[in-house]
Amino acid sequence: MTQALKHGSIIVADWHRCKDSKEYFSKILHKKKRKIFGLLESPVMPPHVPVDTVHYKVFLSGKSGVGKSALAAHLAGLKVPSTHYETTGIETTVVYWPAKLKESGRVLFFRFQLWDCGENALRRFDHLLPSCKEKVDAVLFLFSFTDRTSFDDLANQITKWNESSGSPVVTMVVGTKFDLFMHCDLSEKDVRGFQETWQLPVFRMGCGEDDDRLDVTAPLFNSLAESLWLQDCIIAGQQV
Amino acid sequence: MMFQEGSIQLVCLTASSGVPLFTRGASRQLPFSIIGSLNGVHMFGSGQGVTLSSCETEGGGRVVWRVFQDSVMLIAVNASQQAGQGVESSGQGVESSKGERLHLQRLLENVWNCMVMVLGQDELVNAKNLERLKRDLRSCFSLVDELLEERRPGILGHLTHCADCLLPPQPVPLQEAVQSFAKAADSEFGCLLIHGRVAAATEMWWRLAPQEIVLLSAVMRALSDSGAASCDYPVFLPQGSPTVAHRLLRFQLLPGADVCVLCGPTPSLHGAESTLVGRFWSPLVDNLRDCLAIGERCLPSSVTLRPDVLALLLINRENHRSVSCMPAPSCAYPQRDPPSPSEARCWELLKRFYIFCMTRYFKQEEAEGTTEEEGGTHQGNTEDFVNGFSHQPLKCYVITDECKSFALQTPQHQLFLLTPLTAPTFALNTIAAQTLSSIIAATGF
Repeated sequence: MTQALKHGSIIVADWHRCKDSKEYFSKILHKKKRKIFGLLESPVMPPHVPVDTVHYKVFLSGKSGVGKSALAAHLAGLKVPSTHYETTGIETTVVYWPAKLKESGRVLFFRFQLWDCGENALRRFDHLLPSCKEKVDAVLFLFSFTDRTSFDDLANQITKWNESSGSPVVTMVVGTKFDLFMHCDLSEKDVRGFQETWQLPVFRMGCGEDDDRLDVTAPLFNSLAESLWLQDCIIAGQQV
Repeated sequence: MMFQEGSIQLVCLTASSGVPLFTRGASRQLPFSIIGSLNGVHMFGSGQGVTLSSCETEGGGRVVWRVFQDSVMLIAVNASQQAGQGVESSGQGVESSKGERLHLQRLLENVWNCMVMVLGQDELVNAKNLERLKRDLRSCFSLVDELLEERRPGILGHLTHCADCLLPPQPVPLQEAVQSFAKAADSEFGCLLIHGRVAAATEMWWRLAPQEIVLLSAVMRALSDSGAASCDYPVFLPQGSPTVAHRLLRFQLLPGADVCVLCGPTPSLHGAESTLVGRFWSPLVDNLRDCLAIGERCLPSSVTLRPDVLALLLINRENHRSVSCMPAPSCAYPQRDPPSPSEARCWELLKRFYIFCMTRYFKQEEAEGTTEEEGGTHQGNTEDFVNGFSHQPLKCYVITDECKSFALQTPQHQLFLLTPLTAPTFALNTIAAQTLSSIIAATGF
């Protein structure tokens, strides 16, 4: 079961802080900021260090205004827009994450493509949701810490997703705008309660500019990578 | 200043009942009572069989109205401007005000087109539920703000209604790639943008209405700026397909290089991205990087510009394409006395000079398919002068305390050029003629 996975059992946690990861992380960074890769580009390692890249499609689901586009931008190290604009179609964002497998010591580049689509667009155009679900590997359900209704709606969202999707995918929950604690609309207890009921990991994210992004985003990336890798192994029928 | 940042306010109301749908722009919102009056005075006019399209306030402000499809009224208000600057100061207040009108009228047209592009004409014209319409209109704000703020000074398409182009060093392979890429995506409409400017496009793309090309480029620029890797956007074409949405698939090949296709239900974004993008574009990475390297110059290095060209705008009148160019300032002309205007200021001056020429001397051709509902508003800008003469002016120049400006037109081209004050006035004609012929000779533009 992917959900019951203990964090750090497959992928080395906090590997980005280790010395031996430097070589890999330097390929995705430029002047301490994330490098932006076009579709024709990818991180390039020297020929004597062969690294496989594994591709995953991750769908961001959540109410309008919850911060799907902002989360995608934040995770990818892009500028988080200061004004909220509705996303009027599908936008995907690519983000690379090097990770080390515990057992074999093998390093992989995880290429997450985050799929984000505005709720209103999904409602207005029928073809968008099927397109988002096509060959999807993981889904992140978003709620905002400043909007209780988005949290209350989670159960509904997850149920709807599970009913309409065929094969099970990696599922995680992300609470956005965690940095705006002044306007927080939820208690720790609420979140813990949810976590226990649904047995899903919940990540807390803000979009603050000065955060050291690697530190802030590492737990989410590592956990996502771990679950996806495990899912692949189960599908391939291998022993982990 | 004519284009003072954030000084333009846009109001959108229902045409029949005057219910405000949204307002954008300017930090300080107009009070509701003023919006009501602006609507009222227009309504009063139409009651008397008069269409109020534009007026000037005593303080030098300007208001422009326009009703689209009998359903939506757009009003643009430009707060009072400082008395004449730059090109305007050489003319009279009337000039500046006329230019202002052209600018605001184009803005309203662009805003309407952008509303249609995002929501489709049916939803705007046959809105049954106003609250829903208000909510849906929020989807247009990103694009409308982009139009209001004019974030990229070198992009002039929203004003000229000509596609901003970049002329690549090696156009043929790119052209072929766009064509075969579009074909493989079941589409006849494909376009490659470099730095937000069209570098190559399929023949059918060029057959879209110029305003549509300009607006699609704006959509692509906004997406490119956001850093998204790929997109699937439903878009209506204001002229070509106002009621049926197409899918705009856009892919970021390299940061700054985007390719898009307009297509029907297939292929899926995922499918097109995983099977087509690499196949058609990987072999061209170096070519794309060469294009990216020419940057704001927009012209290949095979075009040698005289060192006394500060900035230029070249329009091809036949196919509604334009190139705006700012040769690299630092190396071309180091220290001048007096110093040349900054890059941003040069774009500003070029824009004003264009408006000056177009409202006063040169005839504007409106693109095919433009719906000129309030007939003759545009012709009205030039008629005073042009109608008094049997011929068309071919050249025009203005000298201000910042730079010298020269424009010339041939049946096929219009060139607008800025030179530093040090360029001798008698040489302007030669500089312009040489610049025009060297660009055409090297690129066939």
